[in-house]
Amino acid sequence: MLIKLAGARVIDPAHEVNDVVRDLFVRDGRMVAGPKDGERIDRTWDATGTIAMAGAIDLHTHIGGGKVNIARALLPEFSRRDVLPGTDVCAACAGGPMPSTLAAGYRYTAMGYTACFEPAMLPVNARQAHLEMGDTPIVDKGAYALLGNDDFLLSQLATGADPREIRDYVAWIMHASHAIGIKVVNAGGISAFKFNQRSLDVDEPNAHYRVTPRQIVRELARAVHELGVPHPLHVHSSNLGVPGNVDSTLATIAAAEGLPIHLTHLQFHSYGTEGDRKFSSAAARIAEAVNAAPNVTVDVGQIMFGQTVTASGDSMLQHRNARHGRPGKWVVMDIECDAGCGVVPFRYRDRDFVNALQWAIGLELFLMISDPWRVFLTTDHPNGGPFTSYPHLIKLLMDRSFRNDVLASINPEAAQMSALAALDREYSLYEIAIMTRAAPARVLGLEDHGHLGVGAAANVVIYEPHEDPETMFARPRWVFKDGQLVAERGAIVAVTRGSIHTVKPGFDRGIERKLEPWFARYHTQSMASFRISDEEVCECGQAPRLVVHPCRAR
Amino acid sequence: MAARNATCAFCGLLCDDLEVDVDVEGRAVRPLRGACERARAAFATLGTDAAAQITPRVAGRPVSVEAALDAAAALLRSKRRPIISGLDIDVAGMRAALDLARRLGAVVDHANGLVNYRNLHVLQEAGAITTTLAEAKNRADLLILIGDGWHRRFPRFIERIVAPEAVLGDCATPRRIVTLDAIDDAARSALPTGVEHLALDAPPGRLPAVISMLGALVDGQPVDAARVRGVASDALERCAAWMRAARYGVIVWCAADLEWPHAELTVQALARCIRSLNRETRFAGLPLAGTDGDLTANAVQTWQSGVPLPASYANGRVDFDPPRYALKRILARGEADVLVWVSSLSHAQFPKPQGLPRLVFGRADVEIDREVEVFIPVATPGIDAAGHLLRSDNVVTLRLPRLRESGLRSVASAVAELSSRLA
Repeated sequence: MLIKLAGARVIDPAHEVNDVVRDLFVRDGRMVAGPKDGERIDRTWDATGTIAMAGAIDLHTHIGGGKVNIARALLPEFSRRDVLPGTDVCAACAGGPMPSTLAAGYRYTAMGYTACFEPAMLPVNARQAHLEMGDTPIVDKGAYALLGNDDFLLSQLATGADPREIRDYVAWIMHASHAIGIKVVNAGGISAFKFNQRSLDVDEPNAHYRVTPRQIVRELARAVHELGVPHPLHVHSSNLGVPGNVDSTLATIAAAEGLPIHLTHLQFHSYGTEGDRKFSSAAARIAEAVNAAPNVTVDVGQIMFGQTVTASGDSMLQHRNARHGRPGKWVVMDIECDAGCGVVPFRYRDRDFVNALQWAIGLELFLMISDPWRVFLTTDHPNGGPFTSYPHLIKLLMDRSFRNDVLASINPEAAQMSALAALDREYSLYEIAIMTRAAPARVLGLEDHGHLGVGAAANVVIYEPHEDPETMFARPRWVFKDGQLVAERGAIVAVTRGSIHTVKPGFDRGIERKLEPWFARYHTQSMASFRISDEEVCECGQAPRLVVHPCRAR
Repeated sequence: MAARNATCAFCGLLCDDLEVDVDVEGRAVRPLRGACERARAAFATLGTDAAAQITPRVAGRPVSVEAALDAAAALLRSKRRPIISGLDIDVAGMRAALDLARRLGAVVDHANGLVNYRNLHVLQEAGAITTTLAEAKNRADLLILIGDGWHRRFPRFIERIVAPEAVLGDCATPRRIVTLDAIDDAARSALPTGVEHLALDAPPGRLPAVISMLGALVDGQPVDAARVRGVASDALERCAAWMRAARYGVIVWCAADLEWPHAELTVQALARCIRSLNRETRFAGLPLAGTDGDLTANAVQTWQSGVPLPASYANGRVDFDPPRYALKRILARGEADVLVWVSSLSHAQFPKPQGLPRLVFGRADVEIDREVEVFIPVATPGIDAAGHLLRSDNVVTLRLPRLRESGLRSVASAVAELSSRLA
């Protein structure tokens, strides 16, 4: 089956193609150069005048796992108001701030996203995460396994374990839980909360294990790097949401000692303590540090005004911040000597000083971090806002006058404290394509995603140019997933199943001699029960393929 | 005969350390080690060779699976308001049951829906602070046990979680245990020795008052502990003092033990008390659940559709409304015209509402009365099919491997075959 997409203006930053009219060819789900000699074109789509990009990739979106499902169960009042009726191809389901897996798959696809990465898969909850992602149709999936608050790792660090053993353990977890990356959330802090510590600075020891966040971040960053896992350690820094946390964020960057790290939802970690309310933007200092540190990539975690729900592994900080939540009901859990979670609904209001400044801080980061290859477009779905707000966010980045209009409507005190009005940068379509396609594929090590070159997965999005970028990005004319038309002008026309993306770094199985008795003594399941086989993860994930991306051990 | 490891599906603890033997023909299965009385009872009837060879029935007559599925499809085609319940099934089975529900526009609820809703209702009103089995095992220095479900419904809870052989490092402190209700000798003797045990011995029906009083005492409110009839005031005060002094306290309850009107208010009082204690120390709830796949069914429904059970899929839209769609209420009001019972774990009798036709996918050893229109025996996860179930703490999902070859179809495949006949 050979398909031709004719005459689109192609934007493909991975190949430095910027708005070049050309034909695209797809054979059996892959991009190809063109017909072979005498080969018949089975179908031609006239894309004249449209803009073609690769399918978008969200590298940080909470789409599956225990806390996500708690958030769904917690808020039926919002799901009820956002019901998706069943159609010939789609199943009836509900949306809301924490949409069902079905709604997430349909809505991501309709927006031109073809791959989503769950950033906080607890290893003990990995089966459920894969089961939920398996019921998220069409898009490809992957997940980062959470480490750095698990009693095994902390006890190893506390007793000065050999870095080789730490590395073997990290690799073992990635195999056992089928992860594509490793994430650390409030390093050591989730564990510390179980011992009644209520805050933990970067150089403060966990009350029980006497290990500091700095040490945990450094050791994990090193292990991930040496294993050759393409995606750097994914770091949710200490002190999320706390005024003045700019210092711990900068200390976290330093903790990596030059090794690659990814700082996630940076907006929530860029706060100062200036002004009458002791809450200010530290975006300039953070952006300066990021610009100067080529080992650092970030995603923003922009907040968007409206109702949402926050779901985080950071039980310590979620418990602390729960009093700000609306509606006033929340869940905090300690989880299985592995991690924790906190689910707190939030209603971000533009007239509220703190929320308005948070909004401005996120945009300041986008505009002050100069390299679009190192800053990714996220709202930390749904924590800063649901992913369905991405087209609006793109408009805020691309259209300065629109941005300034919104700025003029928010809490004036916050607007005054923000540098946003002075930032005249406007993102180009090319830069948007970098930050939503080419760059996330590169930082995840997905060699055949995020671009339209020969051999790439034929995930192609055809947009109709529009003076309003929000309109353009909300409803692409066509979305092709693995060469098949799956969405047309916002409607799903075919439902397919996506692959699971993982890595399998090499390691010494000898680590199991330590792990097996650890499970038997302290856990409530055996090591054998914990481990998920390749066959099982495909069954859970209803995935046609388990894609294993290469690691290059260092 | 071959000894092998097994994971037990018969309560929410999902113990994965059972040893079973499967006889030479690979048919009869019996537990050798690790099985509690609950598990032994289930294996005794389900593990037999006869159970592996049970056949479907239509109007009481044995038929082929194909004929039974045809009859089931014909029955459903003639009905307009189906309710799908039971749902003591694995993840794949629930995926298939929800596909069927959407196809039929059915109402869906778990057999124990109203019991499960006691906890869920409070979650949706107020939230929760909870913990999991391994946290309780390794960190709890105070356990407050409500009712006796921790022994009667979850027979290995004490052995595995409260009195384990080892716990992490110096997290281990001498445990204190409080039992709130008057319990029988069997439950009492299950408690570990060598721990401080405080028994409040609350008479039946006094638990809501006990919990309210403890909440007030913990908060330092000016209350008179002597006002709870039948419970010693000094014991209540001692319990409250223990709660405040705990470094990691855990309150254990089973929603099924709370059999009185508006039991959710008691769960809410517990949640409030736990929240309050967390201002100074660490405390968490550990609601024991997961038996008969209640958490599994609810989790799959919630992630696929965005709202929990009970729900309706009528008119191509999902709608969550417990007062309207709870199984008991639908049956009481006569709002269904056919009952589709999809079951693979529970041995309990299913409802026999007068005049309502029933289509049953059931455990191979279940007793079927002649009035059941169609009976299709299905594999129980962890014996005749592999399957995934969520454990009591709603965090750990385990895979239960198949132990023997039998002709029994998995719930997922049997229900999917029915759905395909309705396409």
